Amino acid sequence: MDSKPFLEPGPEEPARPQPPLPVKIVVAGGFGVGKTTTVSVISEIPLLTTEAAMTEVAAAIDRTGHVPEKTTTTVALDFGCITIDDEIKLYLFGTPGQDRFGFMWHDLTQGALGALVIVDTRRLEECYAAVDYFEHHDIPFVVAANRFHGKLEHHLDDVRWALAVSDETPLISFDARHRRSVRDALLSVLHMSLAKAEYPG
Amino acid sequence: MALSTMTGDDDRRPPDPSRIRPYVDGVVEVSGQPAEYPPEAGAVQPPPEAPAVRPYLLTGGRVRPLDASLEIEAQVRTTPAGQADADRLAFEHRDIVVLCEQPIAIAEIAARLGLHLSVARVLASDLIEAGYLVVRRPEAGAHQNKKIIERVIRGLQAIS
Repeated sequence: MDSKPFLEPGPEEPARPQPPLPVKIVVAGGFGVGKTTTVSVISEIPLLTTEAAMTEVAAAIDRTGHVPEKTTTTVALDFGCITIDDEIKLYLFGTPGQDRFGFMWHDLTQGALGALVIVDTRRLEECYAAVDYFEHHDIPFVVAANRFHGKLEHHLDDVRWALAVSDETPLISFDARHRRSVRDALLSVLHMSLAKAEYPG
Repeated sequence: MALSTMTGDDDRRPPDPSRIRPYVDGVVEVSGQPAEYPPEAGAVQPPPEAPAVRPYLLTGGRVRPLDASLEIEAQVRTTPAGQADADRLAFEHRDIVVLCEQPIAIAEIAARLGLHLSVARVLASDLIEAGYLVVRRPEAGAHQNKKIIERVIRGLQAIS
């Protein structure tokens, strides 16, 4: 990908540093699993929401096998950011984990450092689409079970079996309401990313 | 969207049945329909009773950014030229130039001005092209660059 700016800073702005370098981590998962809480608890700006209107292909999830049907839908994208240092800004994009929104994931995941897939252990099936996507696209990810009310409904080993994720995929539990817990979950993702990365040059 | 960087067929291949997770009896398809522009965007005229301003009216009839690959996290900031000419710009273009005194992401422009993401992308691309915004796009390969990832790790570790 050509990441060169459209316009190099011209001579008319010699003193201004260039804008920060954006990096991102995707926070995926079904509705109500705690994505919004996760992003807002660690973001340095109040959670922002934008809407993306898009054509939805409903067919693929139609288990009755009917003809593909297109409708237009609006998907809300929640996000926040963290200033990492004087140059890097980390964005966290919370995305609906449903398979029918998968088409927007390319935009979201292109160049992402990795992904945190949040699961509610009572409704594991809601994260299957996200797990599939990240596996197929070789995007480093960690599955994080949100401890609702401080506890898990299922043992993590059972969760691993049910999700059929590889042994290399970290499966952690965390509490979306606590910043340090979210920080540590994101660090797990980054350590996965690191394992697949190389030093430049 | 017709991203040049798109991985192509990989995004649309049917799922391998052996990969379907326990308990899922249906087909799990995570692939994408690339269009994220509303279908009415190509219409010649909106019906007079259109309840809201159609996105394409905001974008001068274009439905694609000049550079369709402008990432949603790309950072833009108003240039001195943009500041100087802000008053001569119309509507959303002006709003964006005023908003981007500090660098923000394309997605933030959309969120703060209540625009659809695709519209924000088109408008920001206009302004970049005109020299009113300067952009910093994500670094290609950043996700595989240990130096960058290590910096992000250090930055996160500093959060308490």
